Amino acid sequence: MAAERLIPHRAPMRLVDTLVSVSDGCAVAESVFPRSVMMADGEGKIDEVAFMELIAQSYAAFKGYLDRMAGKPPGEGFLVGVRHLEITGRAYAGDRLLTSIRTVAAIGGFAIVEGAVTRGDETLASGTLKLWLVDPDVDGG
Amino acid sequence: MSALRKGIEASAMEAIAGTGGITGARRYRFGPGFIGFSGHFPGNPVLPAIVQIRAVVSLAEEEGGKTLRLAAVRSAKFLAPIRPDEDVWIRVRRRVDSGRDICDATLSVAGKTVAAFQLELAEGETPR
Repeated sequence: MAAERLIPHRAPMRLVDTLVSVSDGCAVAESVFPRSVMMADGEGKIDEVAFMELIAQSYAAFKGYLDRMAGKPPGEGFLVGVRHLEITGRAYAGDRLLTSIRTVAAIGGFAIVEGAVTRGDETLASGTLKLWLVDPDVDGG
Repeated sequence: MSALRKGIEASAMEAIAGTGGITGARRYRFGPGFIGFSGHFPGNPVLPAIVQIRAVVSLAEEEGGKTLRLAAVRSAKFLAPIRPDEDVWIRVRRRVDSGRDICDATLSVAGKTVAAFQLELAEGETPR
């Protein structure tokens, strides 16, 4: 499913293209950065900070999918914390990146999410994020 | 240089001399036309987390005079949203921990801390 239907981010800050799969608290999202993406340098190298956003947006797409399945519009979410995000590889414009997320805990309006960004068999980054999810039914957001 | 980095550099204002172990501090003002607000979010602009971290790395590069890459985010806390035209003070302190280049950073608006990071930085390229 196209991520634009699931998350509030819009170009050029929407980095996730498609939600590929969803199962039991887990999901995979796909991204291909164009050469014009704001995080790419003149050689097409993607700034490492993008990995964190990929994990956050992939979870947002997952949550937006669940909201849609429940007949609700996708709610907003905000990144509130990061733990132990290790960056072990470099992405380039045109790479097919897959971001896998797993919901570790969901308590109140908060979610703890493990995520990893891969290109083929190579893991480029992995870590744990904490997100605050706005429930439009409760928070009026 | 990426468009994001250029936008961050264009948003940099004055620097102040560090004290008490702070190795760098600079004020930034991200205007409503700043590229990082584009699409994040329509009608509700919030400075993306990745912009905040990129700005810290850029300030550390500026202070150290070397190109750096982000090797890890040991921890990051985002405590309040940063809106367009707010004066954001970024303070960085570099140290070495077990041979790793650590950058402790805070972002503050109107005297209140809005984000705090512990980053691991490195010189040189990440292998593809």
